[in-house]
Amino acid sequence: MAEKCSTLREMNGITDHIAITLVMDAAFSRHDTGGGDHPEVPERLHVIRHFLEAHFPEGSVSTVSPRPATREELLRFHTEGWLCRFEEAALSGRSFIDHPDNQVCYDSFEIAMLAAGSGPTAIDLVENGVPGPLFCCVRPPGHHAEPNMPLGFCFFNNCVIAVRYWQQRYGRQRICILDFDAHHGNGIQAAVDAEAETLYISLHEHPSFSFPGTGWAEDRGSGAGLGAVLNIPLPPGSGDDRVLAAMDVEITAALEEFRPDAFVIAAGFDGHRKDDMSGLSWSTGLYRQIGRRLAAWSREYAASRMISILEGGYHLSSLAASVGAYLEGLLGADSVQAVPQSRDREW
Amino acid sequence: MFITSYMTPSPVTIGPDETVVAALNLLEGHDFRHLPVVDGRRRLLGMVTDRDLRSACPSSVLSTSEQELILDRVKDTKVRQIMSTDLACLHPDSTLDDALLLFRRHRFGALPVVVEEERLVGILSLNDLMDAYSDLFGLGEKGSTLLALEVPGHDVALAGLVAVLEKNNIHCTRLVRTGGTGKDPARIYLRLSSYNMVLVRKLIRKAGFSLYQPPDIRE
Repeated sequence: MAEKCSTLREMNGITDHIAITLVMDAAFSRHDTGGGDHPEVPERLHVIRHFLEAHFPEGSVSTVSPRPATREELLRFHTEGWLCRFEEAALSGRSFIDHPDNQVCYDSFEIAMLAAGSGPTAIDLVENGVPGPLFCCVRPPGHHAEPNMPLGFCFFNNCVIAVRYWQQRYGRQRICILDFDAHHGNGIQAAVDAEAETLYISLHEHPSFSFPGTGWAEDRGSGAGLGAVLNIPLPPGSGDDRVLAAMDVEITAALEEFRPDAFVIAAGFDGHRKDDMSGLSWSTGLYRQIGRRLAAWSREYAASRMISILEGGYHLSSLAASVGAYLEGLLGADSVQAVPQSRDREW
Repeated sequence: MFITSYMTPSPVTIGPDETVVAALNLLEGHDFRHLPVVDGRRRLLGMVTDRDLRSACPSSVLSTSEQELILDRVKDTKVRQIMSTDLACLHPDSTLDDALLLFRRHRFGALPVVVEEERLVGILSLNDLMDAYSDLFGLGEKGSTLLALEVPGHDVALAGLVAVLEKNNIHCTRLVRTGGTGKDPARIYLRLSSYNMVLVRKLIRKAGFSLYQPPDIRE
């Protein structure tokens, strides 16, 4: 096992002084959302990369290219019909699917498969002993995608595909999906609503106001999954305090009861006060605090088996700074020497 | 906006000379609490509720033998003896607002819907009304966003706002204007079937409106 770990790390250029592993590829830029005013743009990943290069010590961030998700992996959540419809729409030159929000280009099906494969790629690294935060820096995002349809810029549900891979390939059945994107992950909830083995926790802007209009506190799961969904809707204008209170009370209690084997984090950064995609009012520094808590929980319950997958975040400078703060938080006190804490200034 | 879309047509009814026990048995088999009382031609005579029927029966805190004794004395009570005859009714062309006003005024839990000669054609419960308003406001409409806008003045060209959105393929599925009475500021609530709030905010500003920004909420 040690030899296998060593080989995998060498293949991916990961050495002992690496603090963060990004699962990322230049190909993600090829998913063209038409320009204009569509906010889900390739620049989102570019600004993250540039920020990390500028603010983290040279050599402390390693990049691994993802493999595409296999058809079998996609079909664990999505339908054959959707796969066919998506592929056909992209290859036939359509500009969107079902709604102008869901812009596609010729390459979009292929690139979405790559985004969906990022979770399994990261999981393989975690299970083979790669230390430190694993962050899948991908697009298109995924948590709104449902089995048979796209929604809210999402086509394949990257987080659900990661969860199913972890359960099936490595036998980690009890997985917590924690989603701090400003919008409820309707697709993730749909996948896990009726099963006791997964816990879906989502902090999001209240569904009375916010897309996609789901994620009520009253929704706690159904059937065998009753109690396996924890929705924490927040009114427009909510700041850091509400999030921290929820993490320190409700979420702590839910995790203590559930005791997950692994964590998949739906990491969206559109709750930032400068991001027009939500009415939430979070600071850059909050994402550092979120990262710290997640790292502590993953150590306590799951021997640090945790991956994060990028979801939303559309105000470019705030996105970059917030991802940087989040990763600093994940690294925590152990890595203060390796990674200087950036000042909590607004970008 | 009309009650006919939300009422239960041809509801379960009971005759005036049926017994209280028969009425209770009828309610227990169904998921409602109001029974219209009608004659052979389905003309409305009154209403009995689950509460009326239970009031006419022995208390459950009594012993079984005591309950049986009392039940024996009341079991032949006719529905006509306990039904309410002071009723408020709706008609097929009544609106949801008509129903809401009646519910507020009379505190009933359900309203019968009648046509000529007081013939019963439906019933609308409070739950039905909640479903109706939930539909109207797009509650739980997946894939939509609700925005609150400040209203710039008393004369507002809402048509301009909707037009600029529609021109950009952003469809408005609900629009409500509230307030402006002095106590509450005027606001417009728009439900839009779009996720692209960056574009929406830009278009709203272009149309001369501004978003209502709630203050940062602190504990």
